[in-house]
Amino acid sequence: MLALSLVLNGIVLGSVLLLFSLGLTLIYGVGRIVNFAHGALFSAGAMAGVWLVASGVPFGLALVVAPVGVGLIGVLIDWAILARIRDRPMVDSLLLTFGLALLITGILYELGGRNVQIMPIPQVLGGVISMGGISLPAYRIFVSILAVALTVALILFLKNSKWGLRVRAANDDPEMGACIGIDRERLMHSVVGVSAALAAASGVAAAPIFTAHAVVGDKILILAFMTVILGGLGSLRGAVVAAYVVGLILVFGEGYFGGQLALMLLFIMVMAMLINWPRGFFGEGRTE
Amino acid sequence: MTGATLSERRTRSRGGLIGLAIVALAGIVLPFASAGQPFLLMLASHALIAAILALSLDMLTGNTGLLSFGHAAWFGFGSYVAGLLSKSASSDIVVLSLLTLAATVLVAGVIGAVLVRQIGKTFAILTLALSQIMFAIVFVFSDITGGEDGLQGIPMATFLGMQIVSPTTWYAILLVALLLALAGALHLRRSPLGRAWLAIRENGERARFIGMNVNKLKLMSYVISAGLASLAGVLFVLFNGATSPDLLHWLESGKVLMYVVLGGVGTIFGPVIGAVVFTLAEHYVSTFTDAWLIYFGALFVLIVIVAPGGLFGGAARIAERLSARKSGRRTAQ
Repeated sequence: MLALSLVLNGIVLGSVLLLFSLGLTLIYGVGRIVNFAHGALFSAGAMAGVWLVASGVPFGLALVVAPVGVGLIGVLIDWAILARIRDRPMVDSLLLTFGLALLITGILYELGGRNVQIMPIPQVLGGVISMGGISLPAYRIFVSILAVALTVALILFLKNSKWGLRVRAANDDPEMGACIGIDRERLMHSVVGVSAALAAASGVAAAPIFTAHAVVGDKILILAFMTVILGGLGSLRGAVVAAYVVGLILVFGEGYFGGQLALMLLFIMVMAMLINWPRGFFGEGRTE
Repeated sequence: MTGATLSERRTRSRGGLIGLAIVALAGIVLPFASAGQPFLLMLASHALIAAILALSLDMLTGNTGLLSFGHAAWFGFGSYVAGLLSKSASSDIVVLSLLTLAATVLVAGVIGAVLVRQIGKTFAILTLALSQIMFAIVFVFSDITGGEDGLQGIPMATFLGMQIVSPTTWYAILLVALLLALAGALHLRRSPLGRAWLAIRENGERARFIGMNVNKLKLMSYVISAGLASLAGVLFVLFNGATSPDLLHWLESGKVLMYVVLGGVGTIFGPVIGAVVFTLAEHYVSTFTDAWLIYFGALFVLIVIVAPGGLFGGAARIAERLSARKSGRRTAQ
């Protein structure tokens, strides 16, 4: 019974992780940037969501407004900061996003992020659903469905829209994409914006479970990094599978050994996998 | 041609010696300047530890171009290992340093062997994860490590049976440690090993094609860097008398990275200067504002955009341009 309930919780965590890592993969695919600030954007989304709900905005609306707001901030960040180092070596982009993570965390601290803020679960989604002796809060089911739905919508959009076509072209070969007339600057603005919005959306959706404060995104960022490495850096379907693998490993580890030990276990497993399969589950990880 | 490189090498080694002399002189003058202000001496001691830590990261990033976002992992590892050993085994500073170094070389060797095989981005991500894992381990074994409260009550360090008590003695020990580390780093830079590292930094692919064992060389750099960081940890815990999980936090790793970026990656003296400047600035900024993380982050972003070579690198570039103009004028005449 415990095992089955852990499986369900693992799927919930995996879904949140999936939605969050998707933004990381997207920004990596188009801009070749590893975004260390992604976790800070998760925290920003969670705190914005709590603030909106506390000032009377209905939860459903907050779930839209906060990601849109953070997404616009993402566009601003790309336009004002990331665009300055477009043609610099890879090392600079790593340092820059790391500095951004510090900056955003600092700002969130000043906006009240030192204290843990609780997001109440909306009344419609309250309660517990039990089936065959296993019970799971209804809200967790809602979060999983929401995350999966958003992921499917994004993948469909990538496959079927003009924007998606450009993103995929830039993902496969940025130089060729530029040659056939894709405006790399504008595409990058939109990609960073969407990526930031996805981080914020997962932050708001997960706030009733994880609470909200300035560094709530730290742990999920590490989990997402493990996810994209397991799946292969830049591989979309690798990330989908890896998100659930990481979610299950973590929840089972927490269930049987305790939270901190589970993180250790996950790290050791990732390291062990990298010895033999450095390019992830499907061998699609980039080597550049 | 050979003569030119020889004289160039000679001037460069002279530059290193002059740099060492300046650091030593500045270090010796300070205790006299700060007489009667014990707090200033303590701040300077912490700056020296930060300088050793910065140098340790530069041994990795400056030599091979690998970026570690979790260098605090080894700083904290050294401090915890030395702290626990000093409670159970010996309080002699040399014995503790050697034992901690051995432990670090062993652990960093195993972890590094996997890490250095990855591409630069994966390496960066995994180093950040490593520091988080080290942070987690402190809480897993909180009955030994003290968990959130940190490791308290470290016995006073001894050297050949004498207790190290006076802050001035501590300052002298830290200064000597920094000078030794600097001399070692300068020597390595000029040795064949250092040249091979630079080849990897400039172009790993070519280094491999001319027959270098790139992974082995990178691993050596990683282990040396981790070892020096753990020694900084040993000095910290013995000087401070306690250690805490904060040392392993990614914020600490960010600070170490900042020292190196601020000073200039690969310049050896730059990170040392960066560490001292930053430690002092952090202290004075945090006295008048709570939000120093904002200033820290903004400065970090600004330096990466505006001055990727760091303060020291920027100054060196200006000096180079000036001397080039001078010699250009000479040839024109």
